[in-house]
Amino acid sequence: MSWDADIDEINRRRELAKQQGGKDAVARHHEKGRLTIRERIDTLLDANSFNEVGEGAGVPEYDDNGQLTDFQPANFVLGFGEINGRPVIVGGEDFTLKGGSPNPAGLRKSVYAEQLALQFKVPLIRLHEGGGGSVGGTGQEKKRRSLGEPVFSTSRFVPLAETLGHVPVATAALGPVAGLPAARLVASHFSVMTENAAVLIAGPQVVKRALGHDLTKEELGGPQVHLKSGAIDNLAKDEEDALSQIARFLSYLPNNAWARAPRITCNDPVDRCEDTLANIVPTDRRQPFQMRKIIAHIVDHTADASSFFEISRKFGPSLITGLARLNGHSVGVIGNDCMFYAGAMTAAAAQKLRRFVDFCNSFHLPVLSFVDEPGFMIGLDSEAAGTIRHGTAAISAVLQSRVPWASVQVQKAFGVAAQAHFGPAPYVLSWPSAASGALPVEGGVAVAFAREIAAAPDPAARQRELEDMLAISQSPFPRAEGLSVHEIIDPRETRPKLVAWLELAQAAQTDPPKPFMTTMRP
Amino acid sequence: MKVTVTSEIAGQVWKVVASVGDALAEDDVIIILESMKMEIPILAPRAGKLATLHVSEEDMISEDQAVAELEVP
Repeated sequence: MSWDADIDEINRRRELAKQQGGKDAVARHHEKGRLTIRERIDTLLDANSFNEVGEGAGVPEYDDNGQLTDFQPANFVLGFGEINGRPVIVGGEDFTLKGGSPNPAGLRKSVYAEQLALQFKVPLIRLHEGGGGSVGGTGQEKKRRSLGEPVFSTSRFVPLAETLGHVPVATAALGPVAGLPAARLVASHFSVMTENAAVLIAGPQVVKRALGHDLTKEELGGPQVHLKSGAIDNLAKDEEDALSQIARFLSYLPNNAWARAPRITCNDPVDRCEDTLANIVPTDRRQPFQMRKIIAHIVDHTADASSFFEISRKFGPSLITGLARLNGHSVGVIGNDCMFYAGAMTAAAAQKLRRFVDFCNSFHLPVLSFVDEPGFMIGLDSEAAGTIRHGTAAISAVLQSRVPWASVQVQKAFGVAAQAHFGPAPYVLSWPSAASGALPVEGGVAVAFAREIAAAPDPAARQRELEDMLAISQSPFPRAEGLSVHEIIDPRETRPKLVAWLELAQAAQTDPPKPFMTTMRP
Repeated sequence: MKVTVTSEIAGQVWKVVASVGDALAEDDVIIILESMKMEIPILAPRAGKLATLHVSEEDMISEDQAVAELEVP
């Protein structure tokens, strides 16, 4: 007697697990231009680093003699692996089996993904393509009803929520994603979708029946909807791009909330002063400028690439958020984009800011803030969007921050919303183009001095005169005199100044890092 | 092929810079909006001939409104 037959059986089952939905289903999937979940995992991870969990889980069929006659693998593939030598947990639905709608073993494996990430404190990546439960349930037993979860079981949403405070979570939508997988998709710090992906609470047929709206799944939940809704952060041109964005996102982060992000070697001179920064902001305040170029000139870059990785560009576009490196340290970067409503804080921009600042706090990333804030967005649409509440929540998040914070006042810092750009005990640098106050002169003067302007012999000239007079009071020089800013600087000095500050600030982080907890916000 | 140029922001058309028939390079200015007291250019998303202008100076336009059509090769 020997175990050879059982060992052969193990190998046979491993072969069966890899058949996925069968040759035809895999071929159909490839015809749509999509990779299978196993190909996606292989593309994402370092070569030969995938260490699968639950490969033998599936739905078996036995004959009357108890011999296995068929085996449907779990339609969720899960395991450990490495990206650039760093550990991750990765999992995703197998769309070639039941369209990714979970079979019983698939459901168990998908729920286990979060638990493994929490237990081993490693980043979690979910690659989604699939539907949620079907009205017929997940059970294979057609004649008998399958038992539901017992009342004493822990809801799968407990670990789903907890992961966000403990480990980095990055997700991708690589095809249609609906129901529970869609909820798992957005329970992340970073999400990316391909051009042909769709993210849906419910699909077109359900929507048609309930609401009478006749829409395709792309119209309902394509990138043009969800990059602007804020449900998904970034667009990828194809699957490889999506996977490489996930790898890049994770490269800036620690493995978990009990660690600090790895620092890399910086070959970009710390004393690099870019001449173009001196006059990049037009002296005419009506003329816009490109905040992304300013950011790119200041953070680390190599010969061919900036370290700036933008997140969520289309949602709340008046505010720019992203990750970068400064002297090899990972940092969070925020900045106003005056091309959108002069950079005003909309309800969407406020939600984006709050989420981003909480994310930076969760993983102890210092924040660099490039300020050009005219105030909360005004007007009926803005009022109706509840901007004042979302904006005040964002300010609260900023001021509850516990990470080092530096603010470079590039131009405007007006109104209540200006507070959203200066964390507690910030290091504040001011460019000569900075202007601060309760209201920008262009709008404020016309309102505050309406009578005086109207009574003047030449109202337009009087308004200009008043605006010029008040513009002087909004200049950065009096603020420097009063130590209301640390320094007023030549814009070219920004990088060396920030690097010197960051070295001191990072060295002062002597408490061991731990998960970030916060209070309720407005 | 025609490409529709839309405005990502609401505002008032302050200046129409390009004319119908102009051959535009990518990022050439088509119109300038005044929005929140700033002059925000709307640029050609790619090179092409300006086939149609949907707006004139002083028009109020809303977010995602089509402002022009480009004929691209």
